[in-house]
Amino acid sequence: MSWSVPARTAPPSPGLRLRLATVMGDLAAGLSRLAGRGSGASIRGQVIARLAPGAFADLLRGRKILAVSGTNGKTTTTHLLAAAVRAGLGDAADRLVTNADGANLHYGIASALSQAPRADIAVLETDERVVGDLIATGAPQVLVFLNFSRDQLDRHHEIKALGRAWRTALEKAGKAGPVIVANASDPLVVWSSSTAAEVIWVETDTQWSADGALCPACGAILMRVRVEAGRDHWDCPGCELTQPEASYVVTGDAIRLPGGETVTPQLRVPGRFNLSNAACALAAAVHFGIDPQTALTGMATVTAPAGRYATAQFGTTRARLLLAKNPAGWAEALPLAASDPVVLAIDAVAADGKDVSWLWDVDYEQLAGRQVIATGPRAQDLAVRLSYAEVAHTVVPDLTEALAGHGGTVDVISTYTPFQRLLKMAGLR
Amino acid sequence: MKPIEIVLVYQSLLGIYGDRGNAMVLRRRLAWRGIEARLIEVEPGDPLPASGAIYLLGGGEDGAQVSAVRRLREDGNLFRAIEGGAVLFAVCAGYQITGHSFTIGEHDEVIEGLGLLDVTTRRGTERAVGESLSHWTRPDGTESLITGFENHGGFTTLGPGAAPLAFVEIGVGNANDGTEGAVQGRVIGAYPHGPILARNPELADHLLELALDRGLDPLPSTELDELRRQRIAAVRKAGLRR
Ligand SMILES: [Zn+2]
Repeated sequence: MSWSVPARTAPPSPGLRLRLATVMGDLAAGLSRLAGRGSGASIRGQVIARLAPGAFADLLRGRKILAVSGTNGKTTTTHLLAAAVRAGLGDAADRLVTNADGANLHYGIASALSQAPRADIAVLETDERVVGDLIATGAPQVLVFLNFSRDQLDRHHEIKALGRAWRTALEKAGKAGPVIVANASDPLVVWSSSTAAEVIWVETDTQWSADGALCPACGAILMRVRVEAGRDHWDCPGCELTQPEASYVVTGDAIRLPGGETVTPQLRVPGRFNLSNAACALAAAVHFGIDPQTALTGMATVTAPAGRYATAQFGTTRARLLLAKNPAGWAEALPLAASDPVVLAIDAVAADGKDVSWLWDVDYEQLAGRQVIATGPRAQDLAVRLSYAEVAHTVVPDLTEALAGHGGTVDVISTYTPFQRLLKMAGLR
Repeated sequence: MKPIEIVLVYQSLLGIYGDRGNAMVLRRRLAWRGIEARLIEVEPGDPLPASGAIYLLGGGEDGAQVSAVRRLREDGNLFRAIEGGAVLFAVCAGYQITGHSFTIGEHDEVIEGLGLLDVTTRRGTERAVGESLSHWTRPDGTESLITGFENHGGFTTLGPGAAPLAFVEIGVGNANDGTEGAVQGRVIGAYPHGPILARNPELADHLLELALDRGLDPLPSTELDELRRQRIAAVRKAGLRR
């Protein structure tokens, strides 16, 4: 089999208005960086959108787009996919643009694209709420759907609502719509993808199943059926919806490819969850024309996507930074955190979700026998949770103090806002 | 003595807001007092025990509410247990299904509830989302504050058979009418999830005392006092801006 990446094409050159808007956006981003307010990606995007309405669509036009969405793992998967495609491009890596910083709303995407007007391939992390718009205006070639689980329920009241929007967008796009690379193990993802013209299914290995209890199509309670030793599929007793046979299957620490061959990725991002993410990225890259071995070589270079899993120095303490934004994220992150003590940082501003009820959906009991340092503005909520879990802990609300004076490497699991603060403290953003 | 049975009903349907926490809190608060308790988790398809002392219903989405009502009716043991003197504590969507009827979906389809509380739920004029605070009068006449987080689209109206559980200081509560939750015999409903019993140990102990038919010694905790102090101060500071 021979592999080839689609030939280079030139995206339309931006009009005068968009060029001016980009200059102003760059200026605003520069000022924002000087003021120490992060990368400025979002501000750049806002300025561009204000001065050149329609910029989102204009910037997407004429590019070959590979997008990644889902509740958890978007940033890492986007990095893996970008690395795979970049490896396939070899010397022509300048053809690729990606929003590597995790800014995944309209502004963040516009900002990244504005920085690379000549790149004809865009690998885009896309917020779940932006997927519909991306399909309608950007005509992506490949769209990766990772998973769907409860997240920030104070804002998104119904988990299924986003899936419904995806179905509508895919239905409207019809045959011209993207090829979907979708997680067959997640019933909500399967239902959300089932209006697409073409789907490449990936059977993943995920810890969290609490949000896949009911059939999204008919409301019946899903059953699990054994397909082979140690391998279950879900199935709806009430309607046709059932786990599709996948082309790519994650088994143990390997991925089975469509031809039956298995590969064992040498990933530098940890955990079974990331192997599943890698399988989805691999399927997308291969569909795009990258040879699997080249894609895997590229993915093996990814170490700390937007700071996730990064090890950083805080004074005399070395800390490994893990992000967990919702119960599914915690279910994946907690087993990775092996240090004693372990630092857990909790906040509940808008970006984290204002409701910390989810603390009771996370199995903190598994930390019994170790010492937890509870930190962040909502450390006290965590402390009460840990008391009921009978896990030893101390409360140190201040992040800097919580990190001070540990020997060895301490693992820190953090919700979104404290994670961003930690990256800043470590000089990683 | 036989261990006290705490029955956590259909987590896969009604467990979206950490509602499992209410069961964990009850069990631990018994264990810490040296009272043996068993947590029984029942999933749809398995029969509910009729021998439980406390049954717990949590929050969930529309489809899950309908599914839970149907299964609980078919099963029947929840009704038998309550007739036999068990306590039912239902929050959020669980509270709604405990009433006569509630609505689901964009077209406000009316669904018949379990009829265990004389309350009726219809789509509200706004969605209630945020920290809430209400005043609850304990059986001994003293007042206790209930701090929690509410997130519901339905507004609940109480009939003459049910009394409000508490009176709202901040938040929407039942229907922006100043009342929060409902009590009817040993059936108690409330909107805050949060989970509400973790933040309100006095309410947790009240449920246990009801179920055991006796008083319990207090379990002082400076950690819980501090959490309550923080949450009450935060909601009062944000106050009516919510
Ligand atoms: Zn079905």
